[in-house]
Amino acid sequence: MRAMAWIDLKDVLGRTVSGVYGDLVTRRTGHAVRCGIEQLLDGGESELAVIDFGTVRLMDHSCADEIIGKLLLQQGQVRYFLLTGLDPSHEEAIAPVLERHGLAVVARDRAGRVKVLGALPESARRAFRVLADDGPALPDEVAAKLALSPAVARAALETLRECRVVREQEGHYQALRNA
Amino acid sequence: MTRVVEVPAQFDDRSFDQFARAFAGGDGGRLLFDAHAAQWASPFGLVGLLSAGQAVTEAGGERPLLTLPQDRDVAHYWARAGFVQHAEGLFEIHGRAPRAPAHGESDVLLEVTPVKGADDVHEVVGHIQDRAAAILTRELGLEAAATMGFGMALSEACQNIVEHAGTGGWVAVQTYTWRRRLGRRVVVIAVSDAGVGFRRSLEATQARRFGDRWGDAAALEAALIQGVSRFRDPGRGQGLAGIRRYLSRWAGKLAVRSGTARWTMVPPWDDDVPLANQLPFFPGTQLLMIVPAQGE
Repeated sequence: MRAMAWIDLKDVLGRTVSGVYGDLVTRRTGHAVRCGIEQLLDGGESELAVIDFGTVRLMDHSCADEIIGKLLLQQGQVRYFLLTGLDPSHEEAIAPVLERHGLAVVARDRAGRVKVLGALPESARRAFRVLADDGPALPDEVAAKLALSPAVARAALETLRECRVVREQEGHYQALRNA
Repeated sequence: MTRVVEVPAQFDDRSFDQFARAFAGGDGGRLLFDAHAAQWASPFGLVGLLSAGQAVTEAGGERPLLTLPQDRDVAHYWARAGFVQHAEGLFEIHGRAPRAPAHGESDVLLEVTPVKGADDVHEVVGHIQDRAAAILTRELGLEAAATMGFGMALSEACQNIVEHAGTGGWVAVQTYTWRRRLGRRVVVIAVSDAGVGFRRSLEATQARRFGDRWGDAAALEAALIQGVSRFRDPGRGQGLAGIRRYLSRWAGKLAVRSGTARWTMVPPWDDDVPLANQLPFFPGTQLLMIVPAQGE
């Protein structure tokens, strides 16, 4: 992966809205923070944007939609996104947004566990788990590990690739997890 | 001529329709909100009373009168809950208004607070997360994750005012013990505004779809069950759905009253009806969330 942009949400919140607030709430705040992120990304050629929730206390659904939902809709095909430092309440706010828009994203919680959030079939979730746990793999290898037919495994991996949560290189599929 | 609007002695969501009927009835004249016999008011009653005063003021009516509870303890409680401070801006108060002490009731997690813009929502959520998280965990047995969800639900409820009411509103949060109704402690969020309400907010985009059925109840159904919003943005309409999910998980209650209808997500411990229609009209939207103590 060529270049990476690391975006501290609390820092962007402080610069775009107020240094006093510790929570990502309201659409207006979400809009301002997303514009701040877009400015940061527009200045570089990063292929991967890592959005750090580690210092964010609370995020509501409206803010999650304005930041994560719209960012993925607008830039999800231009670069990869990885969310890091999430706690369960952040996931609760983000997951319905992704479901509603038919999106998916890789998320790493505060213990370092990687998972995929969003609108994905079960076979794709299981395939992602294999790649995240065991590293890059061919479709036949994923099929064997999950006891799926090769066609189903390949379809699951292609779904993940189209959602930009895995990358494919010379037939091997790799979970987006490095930062 | 002065028209008297009696404030129920026990003023909460259950007696609110009685209050709304008195408020809606009659023509013209200066209004006198008579709370002298009030013995108790929930946060829902207090923010609703402020919305009534706000509705009169914003409609260009003569500044309404308000008699505070005769019972000294009740009047002081209304002051400590933050009601009196804001009522002074909307009503001509009869009777001596008690002053609130520097530190309010410990069970008042958030005094009656005006909500007009996004900054107010930040303040409200920040206040709750700073002050109330420990209380919610200790007294209601809510997990840490649930207190975060509480803040999210509170935020979305307040944003409903900012995004849709077309005017300001009020929010209050309190814990208390429901001995007769539930037999355990609850935390209550009450949000009220005197704005346009769900029907007018959604009319331009939804009325044709519902045809003859269109009204306050249909508008609540569209917003709360179908998740529609007046905005064309497909990401809109998730806030109320998020509130529903949160309250479902913790066996909580959600009731939304707008105009002449009330939609309720009824938990197993409650005997309310899912949809009440043809209620006495009351301006704007009133939202009630109740989370009971867990594990009792």
